[in-house]
Amino acid sequence: MNVNVKFFARFRELLGTDIVTEAREGMTIAAVVSAAAKKNREGYDAIFDQKGNFLEFVIVMQNGQRVETADAAAIPVADGDVIAIFPPVAGG
Amino acid sequence: MLSERERERYKRQIPIFGPEGQDRLKAAHIFVAGAGGLGSPAAIYLAVAGVGTITIVDMDTVELSNLNRQILHNDRGLGKKKTISAIETLRDYNPEITINAIDTPISETNVRTLVGRVDGIVDAMDNYPARYLLNEVALEKKIPLFHGAIRGFFGQATTIIPGKTPCLACIVRNPPPAEVSPVIGVTAGVIGSVQATEVVKYLTGNGDLLAGRLFIWDGLAGSAEEVAVAQNPACPACGTGAGRTPSTEHP
Repeated sequence: MNVNVKFFARFRELLGTDIVTEAREGMTIAAVVSAAAKKNREGYDAIFDQKGNFLEFVIVMQNGQRVETADAAAIPVADGDVIAIFPPVAGG
Repeated sequence: MLSERERERYKRQIPIFGPEGQDRLKAAHIFVAGAGGLGSPAAIYLAVAGVGTITIVDMDTVELSNLNRQILHNDRGLGKKKTISAIETLRDYNPEITINAIDTPISETNVRTLVGRVDGIVDAMDNYPARYLLNEVALEKKIPLFHGAIRGFFGQATTIIPGKTPCLACIVRNPPPAEVSPVIGVTAGVIGSVQATEVVKYLTGNGDLLAGRLFIWDGLAGSAEEVAVAQNPACPACGTGAGRTPSTEHP
């Protein structure tokens, strides 16, 4: 099944966006995003910690619905899902 | 009522929202938290649009490294307090409005008094602890909060209407790590202008606010997107525990 991973802002700069990923049955959001992010170490490290969990501040959305970063490793994806990954910014 | 001079000054915008809309801008008091990158364009555009009273708060002094983006200040103003520099610039732009500039940090102890009874708060801060304070006060006093934040070529903005939309703590539950954010002035210009646009829309009752929507600007890609944002029932600021953390709810 196909899942579209959309990276925004800095994540997009490092990893591109609209990355259509072939996902296996039962794959979680975290696993799909991790696979899409692995091509660029800096991009991966901007999103995941050393244990492979989403960094806490990262905003994860599945089909427009917010997903807690802590739950993203347990929630499976479905065919046609759009996963959006967004870094809030802080400067003013 | 508008004076003849005001009718002339605002001649090109009055057709957009009528003299009533211009009267509403004139009657309004907007609080701009920060006279930096975002506060500069936001305050300038609100001033030239004719927002009757603007209170702007900042604690810093104008430094050379501010001048790539903080267009309230200029080279001649180096070393001045930003409040002084801001009030001079805004008065030059529009002497017909009232400008208060307050030289102080925004803290837990003074934020309620500073904000007072304004009609809207522009979040032009550069850190989330200060933003969460503004968010708390906005919720308490039921004042709209016009949020913006920037980094590099990227920015975000949303409009928080207490009781109707998710609050800032619903949207940004965990702030990004503190840093001195790299930023190009044009990004501050885009996002600060979006914030000012939201204020003008809110005050004149025009258009659709960025309520429950996070506007995301990507200057590098040359694209803007938005994501729907939802209230977090467990939010420590606006959830059932209103302002209390879960740990104080369940001792």
